[in-house]
Amino acid sequence: MTRILLHTRLDDCLAAWRASGYSVLAPSKSHELTRFNEVQHASDMALDLVLPERTIKDHFFPQTEPLIRYRIKKHEIDTEEMVPPELKRIFFGVRPCDASGLAIDDPLFGWDYKDEYWFRRRGNSVIVTIACTSADDFCMCTSVQLSPDSTKGSDVMLTPLKDGRGWQVLALTDRGNALLETIPSILQESDAEPAPPASVPVKFDIDKVTAWLADPASFESHFWKEISQRCIGCASCTFLCPTCHCFDIQDEGDTYSGIRRKNWDSCSFAMFTMHTSGHNPRNTQSTRWRQRIMHKFNYYRGKFDVNSCSGCGRCTRQCPVDMGITETLQSISNLPR
Amino acid sequence: MIYNPFPMRVVSKRDEAPGVRTLRLEFVKQEDHDYFSTNYRTGMFGLYGIFGEGESTFCVASPETRKEYIECTFRQSGRVTTTLANADAGDIVTFRGPYGNRFPIEEFEGKNLLFIAGGIALPPTRSVIWSCLDQREKFGNVTIVYGARTVADLVYKDELDEWKRRDDVNLVLTVDPGGETPDWQDHVGFVPSVLEKVAPSPDNTIAVLCGPPIMIKFTLNALEKLGFSAENVYTTLENRMKCGVGKCGRCNVGSVYICKEGPVFTAAEVQAMPQADL
Repeated sequence: MTRILLHTRLDDCLAAWRASGYSVLAPSKSHELTRFNEVQHASDMALDLVLPERTIKDHFFPQTEPLIRYRIKKHEIDTEEMVPPELKRIFFGVRPCDASGLAIDDPLFGWDYKDEYWFRRRGNSVIVTIACTSADDFCMCTSVQLSPDSTKGSDVMLTPLKDGRGWQVLALTDRGNALLETIPSILQESDAEPAPPASVPVKFDIDKVTAWLADPASFESHFWKEISQRCIGCASCTFLCPTCHCFDIQDEGDTYSGIRRKNWDSCSFAMFTMHTSGHNPRNTQSTRWRQRIMHKFNYYRGKFDVNSCSGCGRCTRQCPVDMGITETLQSISNLPR
Repeated sequence: MIYNPFPMRVVSKRDEAPGVRTLRLEFVKQEDHDYFSTNYRTGMFGLYGIFGEGESTFCVASPETRKEYIECTFRQSGRVTTTLANADAGDIVTFRGPYGNRFPIEEFEGKNLLFIAGGIALPPTRSVIWSCLDQREKFGNVTIVYGARTVADLVYKDELDEWKRRDDVNLVLTVDPGGETPDWQDHVGFVPSVLEKVAPSPDNTIAVLCGPPIMIKFTLNALEKLGFSAENVYTTLENRMKCGVGKCGRCNVGSVYICKEGPVFTAAEVQAMPQADL
């Protein structure tokens, strides 16, 4: 016997959570874009998507966020840190790849200097993940040692029932347990069988890939030029990535008052590494694409013992020139040894 | 919190060379000064800024033996450095840091020191030089080889005069061919070739080398020819940075984050990096 949540009780569930002080965010459609928005009713949710177009990263590391408000008089400076509130939020219907993305980025934002802007948003957010029972051709979680029912980064795991009436419910963390305690009468005991996870074929051999990337000779391989020819440097792949974390800091205002902001940035852009002198260590698209792949599957692993990729496939699914990480890693995996 | 800089008061400013200026900054708040005093060691860097324009990364040019203030020396070239250059005494600017690693000068004790710098790269070298000269008795012979494109481009001219007068420092100055003035008494030639003529023995000697990438490249060759092992040559690297604390993702050379694992490296460490990423 396990606990289940029926689709028909989802509205009761949302009401109970709201009554407990949570706001609920779920995949929904806004302005022709599917992303996590605050929802009031089960009918607002788009839970049958393989993946929403945007990741939940947007709600932890927003596209732009204020850091510091400043006011300057002649010999005085007045600053106010714009600390994000620790909101009680439930992310409902997260896919395992997006939940993993948060867990992958935690050590980066935490090593040595703690980025409170990330961790205050992480603090009171509960991740309720729905295991994938369907996938598309771009999904690649199994290629990066994750799976369609991976629990990494999740507080509660929902597994769709075979009979399609709801989900099997499993709390994975204290935070998840606390959340389920707010809906005791809504969950019910059942022996209904869970549906099997989606079948996601392995597209490349990650061990081969990481071994090749770790070989110093690979850095100057002609491979990088060939594989990145089509890249137009638009940065879509980085912005849609659940683990890409690079940012810029810019001031919005003048020398009297304004706001210093942290904004998404991308290794795809030439300006990203341009020195004041004009020297640019990564001055071509191929060197920038190499940085992206090396960072995710070599450098990040070296530092945090995890690939900076959760296999969502958005980089390929939404690439305007049909490129993406999958093709590159497949090609590396197939290189003659 | 992490991205909030210290307000700093400009105490004085000094022109070093055409377009190059030094600011001396003092802490507005005692607690900020305490933090800096506790944490600063020579070689570390900071992000200097003005709200409304942004932040730029340079070394702390003042030594770890003089922590009442921070000095920074920079070339006026972009928005931030232009605004900083225009700051007057009493104005408030900002500092974030000190970040990064340091020159392990206690490991240099009892050894001879060879400092080599080119152009605007004297400031990071100068921080180490004074950190050692302020406890002169701990070190052996001190040689400083400093070159710039022209006589006008030499920075810290007062300090060069002071080092020249000291009998416990051997200062060698050089300017690029064509950069000399009629009354120029010192060397004419590029740093690597001058170095080959004046360098002390590599025995028991540590070299500290700072300069533009092309100068570093040729000077490392010269040092190798002179018999210096790559483990005894230290340098400092710079890259564009936004956060300074290992998160914004741009300053890495290969897998090495300049902001966290650097900016100070031995030549051996630099040679182990993918050279095409420098």
